Amino acid sequence: MTARVRARRSRAPRLCPLALLAALALLAACAPVSGTPVSAPAVGGSPGPPRGTLRLYSSVTQDTIDAVIAAYNRQFPDVSVEVFRAPTGQLDGRIAGELRSGAVQADLLWATDPLSTQSYAAKDLFRAWTPAEATSVPAADRSNVFWGTRLLNMVIVHAPGMANPPRDWHDLTDASLAGRVAIPDPGFAGSAFGALGYFATADGYGMDYYRALKANGAVQVQSIADTLTGVAEGQFLAGITLDKSARDAIAAGSPLEMTWPVSGAIAIYSPIAVWKDAQNVVAAQSFVDFVLSEDGQAAVAGTGWQPIRADVSGGPAVDGPQVAPDWAALFDRQDALLTEYRSIFGG
Amino acid sequence: MAERRWRLAAWGGVLAALGLLAAWPLARLAAEGLGSGLGALVGGIGGPGAGAIVNSLWVSLAVTGLALAAGLAAAMLTERSAVAGRSALRLAILAPLVIPDFVSAMSWTRAYGPVGLSHRLLGVELPGLIGPAGIVVVLAVGAVPLAYLILVGGMRVRAEPDLERAARASGAGSWTAFRTVTLPLLWPALVAAGGLVFVTSMNAFGTPAVLGRPAGFSTMTTRIYGDLAFASSDEAFRRVISLSVLMVVVAVSIVGVVDRLGGRAVPRTGVSTGPRASAGRAPWWATTVAWTVVTLAVLVPLAALVLTALTRAVGLAPVPANLTVANFGRALDARALGDLGNSVLLAAGTAVAAVVLGLVATAAGSRWRPRLNSVVTLTFAVPGSVLAVAMLLAYGSALRDTLAIIGVAYLAKLWALGQRPISGAADRLSGDLLYAARASGASLLTAVRTVVLPLLAPAIAAGAILVFVFALHEVTISILLYGPRTATLAVTILNLQQVGDPVLTSALAVVLTAVVALLAGLLLLVVRRWPWAGGVLG
Repeated sequence: MTARVRARRSRAPRLCPLALLAALALLAACAPVSGTPVSAPAVGGSPGPPRGTLRLYSSVTQDTIDAVIAAYNRQFPDVSVEVFRAPTGQLDGRIAGELRSGAVQADLLWATDPLSTQSYAAKDLFRAWTPAEATSVPAADRSNVFWGTRLLNMVIVHAPGMANPPRDWHDLTDASLAGRVAIPDPGFAGSAFGALGYFATADGYGMDYYRALKANGAVQVQSIADTLTGVAEGQFLAGITLDKSARDAIAAGSPLEMTWPVSGAIAIYSPIAVWKDAQNVVAAQSFVDFVLSEDGQAAVAGTGWQPIRADVSGGPAVDGPQVAPDWAALFDRQDALLTEYRSIFGG
Repeated sequence: MAERRWRLAAWGGVLAALGLLAAWPLARLAAEGLGSGLGALVGGIGGPGAGAIVNSLWVSLAVTGLALAAGLAAAMLTERSAVAGRSALRLAILAPLVIPDFVSAMSWTRAYGPVGLSHRLLGVELPGLIGPAGIVVVLAVGAVPLAYLILVGGMRVRAEPDLERAARASGAGSWTAFRTVTLPLLWPALVAAGGLVFVTSMNAFGTPAVLGRPAGFSTMTTRIYGDLAFASSDEAFRRVISLSVLMVVVAVSIVGVVDRLGGRAVPRTGVSTGPRASAGRAPWWATTVAWTVVTLAVLVPLAALVLTALTRAVGLAPVPANLTVANFGRALDARALGDLGNSVLLAAGTAVAAVVLGLVATAAGSRWRPRLNSVVTLTFAVPGSVLAVAMLLAYGSALRDTLAIIGVAYLAKLWALGQRPISGAADRLSGDLLYAARASGASLLTAVRTVVLPLLAPAIAAGAILVFVFALHEVTISILLYGPRTATLAVTILNLQQVGDPVLTSALAVVLTAVVALLAGLLLLVVRRWPWAGGVLG
């Protein structure tokens, strides 16, 4: 092929389609030779020890994935875990594309928040089974096809050394913070949407809470990280963000302080599930079992997240009560909630 | 007739590429999005979505106007006058090109925001930076290199100084010469640049998200990415697609109209054999203005970005005690370095392929060129994430997890960047030159090689540079399409960091900038050996 192209080129102008084909061929040739996307021979009937390739789709932070896989491989060295990690939106985009051109090309989904997991479960895309430690997960944080693995806590950060720092959610609407409060846009991230979902339905808050924030000049920023950046740099005095992100920034030396809201941090659970079309079911189930086991939970806790199991220590301090949105009730109400939110904060 | 045969072959190639890169993936996408009927599309247009459409349109038009004016002024200054420090000025004008889209807004807030550098040092901040005015300015600054490269490429194809000098000698003032000679001859390049700038602005996400959300200001892209975050819901996913389709339709209609206008006959004249640079010295004020603008709009934000990358943790003052190079170490672990190869390979492959496609499309003939130029902006106008979904739909089962699927998506996305500069230059190339060479006995190959390609070289270089840099920075497509062995540097580093840590993101941007600088240096060495390939870096 190459020889022919070269021969033609010698008497043809360069602007020929063959050159284009050659370029495309070159591009294709650059692709890795490996032709083993999902392997692992199905172990018919009697599940042997897990082995082969396990494909994990996840939006969980990379260091947590790395730590859990390393610990998993110490117990199951014969499984090679391939990870596709992307932020929730991109991950869901990939899954949407794959669903509509065949099937999801993964064995496992490990998501950041339950929103997308719930809608996949509603479409019957997950495998129903019971992990060994399923009941160690609080009943509110699991179903018969997915199980919470860790908790993300929405908390308050504020500037260091404030005489009268905010102690609870309602303090963010106080006149002393007028114009200096940052809230992450719930239209961009599941965790921020979880906060909206909680406030919208909780007693004493409702959408009036957002109206009060807006009336006090609160500013919506794009992401959780923007809240931290804005408060650390002094643009804002306080804001809503994730406990782990705040702790990491404080540990790195950022001028911030974190407050666990008196009435409770908003806890968001991070579910894991086995896809119905999983190729390597044995390994996938062993991975879920592992993440819910004490060792797996310890690995999660070691990276700074609160493990879902209350009986596993080593996680970050939980400095107060925790509240949670009713995810099942939020399901299918995304559009309505976001529309109402946007009528207050614009966009 | 050899010409005719090759022209037909070129047509075949262009149509095949259009089918594979644009028609099939977009048709798959549209079928998914509009499967539920037109209701979703109408729903996307009506209600609050309408405001986002209007916002996108006027922001993009303003950016296009600003960037074209600034790019033209810059090109006139560096190419048509003997300005002091020309090479340095060229590099400074091109510098925003190396700042990835996902940090450009951040570099500005760090430079001029409420707690930025200017506030720290002088106690002043840029009013309106948060909000639509800031979006327009930041996008325009980022788009100037695009306009500048294409205009310079267009200027260099033909030696207008002759005609300008003739006009001046005949008594025309410099403004009259510019208006009646330079501008009409630059028209195709202006159209080529304007179309790209317009679509790039329509497509921008990072800047409107960072500067627009605090002001409650939405564009179509922020709506699309917002819906993508909820793409597990069928309704949101369909809205992503119908809004994207709508955006493509709007963008391509406007570009199409402009291209038709630009497709009108351009005066063609002979080639100059005289010296290229005109003798006119740039007035002192022009040089001063240029350097002031470049300093404020390019160098200060770049410096703010580097300072951020060097800061130990976000929120610390950039004083020596708080500075560290550790962020680069964190950004560049072994995993990331391994993926640098993928990034460079993809960027280089896409640059070569896009330029080849651009040349083939140009060879296919001038009659349909304007329409062809509009058509290739189709896939350029699709937001990266959505284009990636389209590629998954079209080629996912065949090319999953290969570099090829990322490469195909990059080529679809960036084809326009390779083609429009070349076409903008070729429109000004007289067919007489080719005929003259052929009449003198040169074979078609020899004529193209010795006459056409050298004249197009600056435009080819411009296209290749643009595609290479855009592909190297690309992250929205690759983060959807990468596989176990095909991650790119940007994807890996963005995945490694927590959740949008600005310090590490800046470090990534600086690393990518260093890669571009290194490769540009290598390119310069090559250029020294083969001066005809000099392009605009020479």
